[in-house]
Amino acid sequence: MRHLVVVFLILLLGTPSALAQTAGAAPTDPALIEKIRKSNAECLGCHTEAALKAPPREGMDLLKLKTLLVDPAAFERSNHAGMECKTCHGQTANEYPHREGLTAQVSPCGECHAQKSMRIEAQYDASIHAKHLKGKFTCQSCHDPHLYKVAAKLGAPSEIVRQDNAMCFDCHESDLKFATFGDALTPPKRRPDLDDIHEWLPNAKLHWGAVRCVECHTPVSPTKTLALSHEIVGKDKAEKNCVACHTRDTALKTRLYRHMVTEEREKLGFANSIILGDSYVIGATRNAYFDQFAVWSVLLTVAGVMGHGALRVFTAGIRRLLRKS
Amino acid sequence: MSERIYMLPFWLRAWHWVNAALILVLIVTGGSLHFAQPDLPLVPFALAARLHDIAGVALAALYGFFVIANIVSGNWWQYVPKPGGFIKRCLVQTRFYCWDIFWGRPHPYPPTLAANFNSLQQIIYWFIMYFFMPILLLTGLMFLVPEWAPQRVLGLDGLLPIAMAHTAVGLIITLFMIGHIYLGTTGLKVTSLFRMMITGWHEH
Repeated sequence: MRHLVVVFLILLLGTPSALAQTAGAAPTDPALIEKIRKSNAECLGCHTEAALKAPPREGMDLLKLKTLLVDPAAFERSNHAGMECKTCHGQTANEYPHREGLTAQVSPCGECHAQKSMRIEAQYDASIHAKHLKGKFTCQSCHDPHLYKVAAKLGAPSEIVRQDNAMCFDCHESDLKFATFGDALTPPKRRPDLDDIHEWLPNAKLHWGAVRCVECHTPVSPTKTLALSHEIVGKDKAEKNCVACHTRDTALKTRLYRHMVTEEREKLGFANSIILGDSYVIGATRNAYFDQFAVWSVLLTVAGVMGHGALRVFTAGIRRLLRKS
Repeated sequence: MSERIYMLPFWLRAWHWVNAALILVLIVTGGSLHFAQPDLPLVPFALAARLHDIAGVALAALYGFFVIANIVSGNWWQYVPKPGGFIKRCLVQTRFYCWDIFWGRPHPYPPTLAANFNSLQQIIYWFIMYFFMPILLLTGLMFLVPEWAPQRVLGLDGLLPIAMAHTAVGLIITLFMIGHIYLGTTGLKVTSLFRMMITGWHEH
């Protein structure tokens, strides 16, 4: 909230850049909330599905409008809920007719997220997206600012997976969307079939519903407390060692479940019991008591039959000696 | 001089060895998956998962064959514990394994055409083949097709009880396998019972 006030002050003073990173808190001041609501209502008067069906003005370019819709309910659930459209789209954004090139003139994310951007930029520069699409690929290519919510705020891993994988599938499961980037390459790149390139992965679809693509398609973060790297890697560099996750010291603790790891308890002897709320992960959600019982029962059974066998050999030897004597 | 009787038909011996091979593959790959360690891979995880799936489906199909063949041939009767001193026969057989065997005394209930199994074998084989194996196969198939498993159980992933049951029964069958292989050495000679399972001829 404090940051939003700072944003407004800076905007009023005419220096709309170099803002401090927002804390993501929605405003609480009723007057400010009402001002933002009124301002946003002007934009949402046209830029919603409902308005598309019943255009409020005559002569609107409905085909173009169809590509510029916002779901108000989803926006209110997003990280940017409570922000004014004009904060990113400019102070004159709600003037109609819109000025030429308004769509392209969105404030760079780094204006507010300066700290995060600095860290992410180096990671992004090493990513496969930067390698092939530098200049064409922006934060919004993946993160829709009208929808996106950070993992820690989503909380439930299933929600995180649904949101984050949808970002990847948006292009990687759509020939049309993929072509908007792939056609710009030399030679043009066609969308590879996800099933084909994940043929090696057992139960691929089960994985896609339970973990994020980036669990495997980003390198291990050098600092466990930092969020996932933005260095998205292609299939050649992606993690193919199943045991990175499918083991007691699972990487999921520093990835999908990172924000919940402080709640981690070995409940009833289950390793990584926090994961069990969503998924049973072979190798990772093992029960220490059962494992000890299993190992000891096998060892004792083997020892038992070996001892029995040794005793048979021994007594057979004695019987032979007795017969001879 | 020992005598021989032809006791085990080909289909039963073939089923037994294919069943044994599949269970061995399932124990090794299942153990490798459950106890997965990055620095101690018994079988690489992805390979173990594939082999476990294939061997599991094959075992389920083979179990179907076993049940049908048992019904058709009448072999199912061999597994049924017979009344009239069943407990006593079990105790005598247990005493044989725990005591008499060390004194070189003969098996109290040697196999015959009418009764292949002694009472202990009957009750243990019955539990293994008609109680534990169906649980193992059903839970395994639910693992293979998780949509068949309950979505949630007590606020946790529904696969958890399925996985626990599968692993526990897998352990029981592993322990049975160790004991079963060892008791295979208790024939007239150490190799007699293994030879019988290959040739079908029993020496006594």
